[in-house]
Amino acid sequence: MSKKLETAHAGTLESSDAFVRVIPVDAKGIEIELESSVEEIYGDAIRARVLETATAMSVEGVKIIVQDKGALDYVIKARVQTAILRALGEAEPDWSVL
Amino acid sequence: MKPKLRRSMLFVPGSNTGMVCNAFIYKPDTVMFDLEDSVALSEKDSARMMVFHALQHFTYKDIETAVRVNPLDTPFGLLDLEAVIRAGVDIVRLPKTDTVEDVLDMEREIERIEIKIGSPKKTMLLAAIESALGVVNAVDIARSSTRMMGIALGAEDFVRDLHTQRTKEGHELMAARNQILLAARAAKIGAFDSIFSDVKDKEGFMHEVDLIKGLGFDGKSLINPNQIPWLHSAFAPSQKNINWAIEVLEAAKDAKERGLGVISLDGKMVDAPVILRAEWIMDLARASGVLGEEQ
Amino acid sequence: MSFVFSEVPHTSIVRWQKVKDFLQSVDLEMSEDVEIFVVAKEDDRIVACGGLSGKVLKNIALDESLRGEGLALSLMSELLKVAFREGRHELFLFTKPDYQEVFESCGFKYIEQAHHQVILMENSYNIDLYKKRLRKYKHTGDVVGSIVMNCNPFTLGHRFLVEQACERSHWVHLFVVKEDASFFTFKDRYRLICEGLVDLENLTIHEGSDYIISKATFPTYFIKDKRQIDSLYTELDLNIFRNHLAPQLGITHRFVGEEPLCAVTNEYNQQMKKLLARPSEAPPIEVVELGRIEYGGEPISASRVRKLMQHNRLEEILPLVPPTTYALIATMMSKEEAK
Repeated sequence: MSKKLETAHAGTLESSDAFVRVIPVDAKGIEIELESSVEEIYGDAIRARVLETATAMSVEGVKIIVQDKGALDYVIKARVQTAILRALGEAEPDWSVL
Repeated sequence: MKPKLRRSMLFVPGSNTGMVCNAFIYKPDTVMFDLEDSVALSEKDSARMMVFHALQHFTYKDIETAVRVNPLDTPFGLLDLEAVIRAGVDIVRLPKTDTVEDVLDMEREIERIEIKIGSPKKTMLLAAIESALGVVNAVDIARSSTRMMGIALGAEDFVRDLHTQRTKEGHELMAARNQILLAARAAKIGAFDSIFSDVKDKEGFMHEVDLIKGLGFDGKSLINPNQIPWLHSAFAPSQKNINWAIEVLEAAKDAKERGLGVISLDGKMVDAPVILRAEWIMDLARASGVLGEEQ
Repeated sequence: MSFVFSEVPHTSIVRWQKVKDFLQSVDLEMSEDVEIFVVAKEDDRIVACGGLSGKVLKNIALDESLRGEGLALSLMSELLKVAFREGRHELFLFTKPDYQEVFESCGFKYIEQAHHQVILMENSYNIDLYKKRLRKYKHTGDVVGSIVMNCNPFTLGHRFLVEQACERSHWVHLFVVKEDASFFTFKDRYRLICEGLVDLENLTIHEGSDYIISKATFPTYFIKDKRQIDSLYTELDLNIFRNHLAPQLGITHRFVGEEPLCAVTNEYNQQMKKLLARPSEAPPIEVVELGRIEYGGEPISASRVRKLMQHNRLEEILPLVPPTTYALIATMMSKEEAK
């Protein structure tokens, strides 16, 4: 059973960061929209990381929009997790899945 | 055990992603991620998550890490602890430590989390003293926990509490600095000075560093990476000190090889604290780059 | 360099004036409809600002000396944060073509331009969703008409226009201007239109959208030559209509009311004829001007009805509007009297 989400976001547009938006949609699964200056080289890796992060948090029926500003792998992960937690309205995450 | 070098503790706001990702490059002795005053209320959760991941990243494996968490009486304090203890932080910096109770409360929660997650690590504590009450209680605070690795002055809040402001001369901090240093030394832990906020004023910064080094402080919190080389150069030992240390260590080695129980140099007995001091000077010399690796 | 960001709501008079002064220093007027500003300060001095007005970001400005991407991106991060917190997730902005790239790096996408002077951008792909939705209402035929109306409120004049259009077309698409800057709310206007046209069979009434821009939200602060405002607005609006909306529905004609007396509207109609027919990738659309019906020697118009309402002459409104509109006006006026 997937959890109920609200629209939420995390991060900034600043260099080395990522701006992540989570939007509930009327569809199953996780849709990812990525904009990145390193799209050609790292696009697939970033998408995979976003998907893996969201899946680990058992969310579904969301669109995740990521604007990557040259963020490290863990920054993307942190931003996606924060945005999802905000979307779920959960203050205390399950650290073991993060 | 010989003490670790802790000249520079670089403050890194948890909400500043660029700084979080790059702070290790500047090679401070300790990186101190901040979740408290430099982070806006609306970004407490995102900063916590960012620091949680940064602490586990390989770029911070070979550098000592500390996190200034929010006080336990805020909605963020406990969540911060849960995150940073799991992420394996070396030191938790307690903000606004006024009494021994503040330390014990924090220690209890840290222990609980360590047991819960089965961590073998014993997270250290660094108490920031930022009020007149804290300074008055500094001796007790310094001795309140076996986890306590040092106490630090938080001057910005302290001067407000004293009803004054900071000056270049630093007379307003004299009593606090002396008290914190005495308390730290009596408890055999580290003493760390406050930040110097005008990042453009190198002269003023160097003046303050000379002062606190002369008083006996181990190091200082920094808010700008540019201040790191300035601080490290000021903390570099003199050639005279290095020469002395080399001689002491040679004498110690010699005595050990010859199986002598007593070490002597120039007719004087050299005891354990002196050897520790000499080793520390050599560490400092190596870290300051005034000595080659082979020495 | 570190900047301190803060919010300035419309209610804080002193700080609001400082934002106004800053805008003036970079040669911009403050948009009157901004609800909240985000400002960046360095040493207590404002160095950048951006405002939120409904779904539109306005008055985004940076101090010349600090115009580097760093500050722009930080400012936009803060501004988006405020907009999202206020529940405005789908945002628009109008800007000069020079700044397209900067805003693209903030997640905004180009929609349309006017005269190489103004572009419209949005931060979602909603226009694509909207186009997809429109295609479901497509009806093929030699003449597929369209009308864009505000109907503030719906009168027999409007009814006549739509009737005429329906008689001449296989199908007609009527778009109702969505924003709520009119005397009658969108909800009321839309309901009266639906009720007043319920008998017409070859007609689709579209609830309007963010892509039929209202004059009220079109910003003018960065257009130096004020005489150009009307024509730039018209061009942008018509370019969106022609290049994005009309092709989805196969629209071939656009019907407008004739305006022999009002110079501004007449000018608008002439410009529309020219713009909708000029060469473009999208097929041309023929503009048809329809005569207005009169009552008592004067054309029936919404403004005439509103004027009569102001003068409390309910009985004179009766012959100008359909019964449904009349009923609403009568209720509104009796409530007004009760106050």
